[in-house]
Amino acid sequence: MSNFGQVTMWLGLIAVGISSVCYAVVVSGKDSGVAKNAARLSFIAFSVFVTIASMLLMHFILNHEFLYSYVARYSSRDLPMQYLVSSFWAGQEGSFLLWVLLGAWLGIFLMFRARDMEPHVMLIYNLNNVFLMILLIKQSPFHMLPIAPPDGNGLNMLLQDPWMVIHPPIVFLGYAAFAIPFAYAVSALWRRDYDSWIKPALPWTVFAFVSLGAGIIIGGYWSYKVLGWGGYWGWDPVENASLLPWLAGMALMHGMMLQQTRGKLRKTNFVLAAFSFLLVIYCTFLTRSGVLADFSVHSFVDLGITGWLVIFMFAFIAISMFFFVTRAKEIPVSKKGENLSYFSREFGLIAVMILLCLSTLVTGLGTSAPLITRMLEQTSKVSTEFYVNTNLPLALFILLLLSFVPLMAWGKNNFSKVGAKAKWAGVGAVVALVVTLLNGYPDMEAPLLSLGVLLLSILAGAATGMNLLLVIKLVRKRITISSGAIAHLGVGLMFLGIVSSSAYDRSEKVLLPQGTVKSALGYEIMLNGPQFSREGKGMRLHFPLDIKRGGSQFTAKPDIYSERGRNGQMQRFTHPHIRKGLLSDLYISPLDFEPGQKKGSENSLDLKRGNKIAFHDYELEFTGFDVSGMMGQDARNMTVGANIVASYKGDDPVTLKPVITMSKKHGPSSPSSRVKLPGPDDAYLTLERIDAGAKTIGLVYEGPGPAPEKSAEKSPPAVIAEVSIKPGMTVLWLGTFLILLGGSVAVVRRWPK
Amino acid sequence: MLAMAMAMYSFKSTLTPYVTVGEAKASNRPVQVAGIAVKGTERYDLKTNNLLFTLREDGGAEMVVEYDGPRPGNFDDATKVVAVGKYEPTTQVFTAKELLVKCPTKYEGRVKGE
Repeated sequence: MSNFGQVTMWLGLIAVGISSVCYAVVVSGKDSGVAKNAARLSFIAFSVFVTIASMLLMHFILNHEFLYSYVARYSSRDLPMQYLVSSFWAGQEGSFLLWVLLGAWLGIFLMFRARDMEPHVMLIYNLNNVFLMILLIKQSPFHMLPIAPPDGNGLNMLLQDPWMVIHPPIVFLGYAAFAIPFAYAVSALWRRDYDSWIKPALPWTVFAFVSLGAGIIIGGYWSYKVLGWGGYWGWDPVENASLLPWLAGMALMHGMMLQQTRGKLRKTNFVLAAFSFLLVIYCTFLTRSGVLADFSVHSFVDLGITGWLVIFMFAFIAISMFFFVTRAKEIPVSKKGENLSYFSREFGLIAVMILLCLSTLVTGLGTSAPLITRMLEQTSKVSTEFYVNTNLPLALFILLLLSFVPLMAWGKNNFSKVGAKAKWAGVGAVVALVVTLLNGYPDMEAPLLSLGVLLLSILAGAATGMNLLLVIKLVRKRITISSGAIAHLGVGLMFLGIVSSSAYDRSEKVLLPQGTVKSALGYEIMLNGPQFSREGKGMRLHFPLDIKRGGSQFTAKPDIYSERGRNGQMQRFTHPHIRKGLLSDLYISPLDFEPGQKKGSENSLDLKRGNKIAFHDYELEFTGFDVSGMMGQDARNMTVGANIVASYKGDDPVTLKPVITMSKKHGPSSPSSRVKLPGPDDAYLTLERIDAGAKTIGLVYEGPGPAPEKSAEKSPPAVIAEVSIKPGMTVLWLGTFLILLGGSVAVVRRWPK
Repeated sequence: MLAMAMAMYSFKSTLTPYVTVGEAKASNRPVQVAGIAVKGTERYDLKTNNLLFTLREDGGAEMVVEYDGPRPGNFDDATKVVAVGKYEPTTQVFTAKELLVKCPTKYEGRVKGE
């Protein structure tokens, strides 16, 4: 069968291959002008083919062409438009295609901006594209099924969130962009021109830093808003996979600035450019190859590309090593300021870079623990304390540097001058110390950790105070020169937010029976009647909570969504309610729902086959079992239905068919689906038990009617909720926003005119 | 040097090996155990409001796991649950600090007949 998608991908690979060969001809110096044009044209052709392939995939998703396995696995007919679009990158194959697509588009800009470095830069850049295309053809989103299923699996509920629509494209934009500084750095060594690459490559580096950073932050925000565990960062391998190149990229960015202004760190910058790009590939390997499958909540499955990823990684390491080793001796060491002053901006920048590299190394070590320990003894992972214990001291030094280095000039500085200007750092530190202690000395698991958290707060306060002053001063002069100060202010605020939200959060679990006022963390909370609503394939159970504190009152509406998964089991997704505040967030996450005891309740009834009974406003008759649903069930479960003829106040009768799923081994198991009774009332029946021998069924009625007021025997429905107060979340998000804003301003300022 | 030594120490001391239920019961350090959550055993302790369930590994060995945290999003659809924590011989309960839930739907799925 013809598969246009796959054909387009092959054409894309051929085009990018031709482009590489032509650029190689240009690099070799044998070009008479033809090769360069051919190289450019074939690169454009590559972009066009990749774009067509992406449009085809999107077309197949939007038109529910489930013959394509990828479409069947990640989308379904009932998905709304925005989630149909995002199912494009819900799986590995599609996200690789997205990566290549964004890389191709960035490549067009790169091609026309690289000037005389174009042949070398594009040749290296293309190498990455060739490799990605090979992976993509190996692991194609256009694989076809023998027959098209009637509907697809649909998109995971957790991913059905607006932030998850934009998160992957932004991360992959960052991933794609990290290939550009690498291409420039290798070209610089190749051409033996060790300085001129910095100016054109720096805005790309900052761009890669901003987009990957935005991706990381959006991921954290989604985790906080959707997952209901109350956190935003879990040191999961998949999270670390984007953090590692980001940290290395941050070090590279600072190193490039130092080389641009002071002519230092030529070798270091090459190594860092290679390192951050190699980390992108290494982390792709870690998360895509299945090596960490048992250590991450993200279960990526090995799709047979592990070998290829390892080959690519070693190929790029070999290329980097080759150029570094052959050029190392002739790379000039810094021209000016051979004797580096320990009290200078240069020294501060170098120190920050060392700290960022150490952070990358320890975080990388932790993430790779299962790989390392597998070779030694028992396969193990590190717990999250490892990441906290190792990164906390590094963060302390970084914040310390941030609170005075931005004040210093290049070269020698006068200690007393800088000291006088640094009083704002002192003010920030004192304010942070006082505010922290007013809220109590940090209470962490270990005394040393508590001290570390207190120091973190003081130093974050110092960095915030200093950089706030700088931002105010610089923004008045010219906004573009304030980019660094804005980002550094963001770092200070982010750490203040991290300290307050992780060391001062309070949480309490409460059982909230309907109608009873309970208090938690100073809030008076009462559950009103839970409400059901049908939504998509499942239903949502809302828990309207009346919350009072002092004079203020509001309603929170956390909910639990449930739908039947493909394994036949009900799946639940809890959805927290977050009331954001300037100082702290109130975070209410429903944990479990107790539907209330039905013992002796008038809401349960038994029906014997053939007997007609009157119940509330209805007449009900059980006419027989329906076992047609038993066909096609898997070996462990079976589904039985009951035919019930029901009529509302003498209206025409309707046949209802509630079902129950039973596990063959353990008897009746999961609660079954509800059916709505005819008539205007919101009334439902659920099949609770069946007794095939006695030909009776047990039903549960939910809906209006004479309330069964035998309160002694009946407990009301209740929800178990975790109520938390998370201080500083708004400050944290503001800080991360400022880091990205500062970075974006820097990209604009440094963009070549 | 000192920093690296500290990192290595922290690395070794926070390693949680992947073990079987039997090994977890014999171990007094944090470990991780993989298995399935036995259907129908999942409940909330109304006193502590902690999640409790029975974890059964491939070989059939079982243990009760207690988790003081919100129920993971895809718990019901899990093909595999990894509990990270420590076994308490006195209560005979495995206290999990972390629950990793592996789901067929999260990032990867398979269509029947593929």
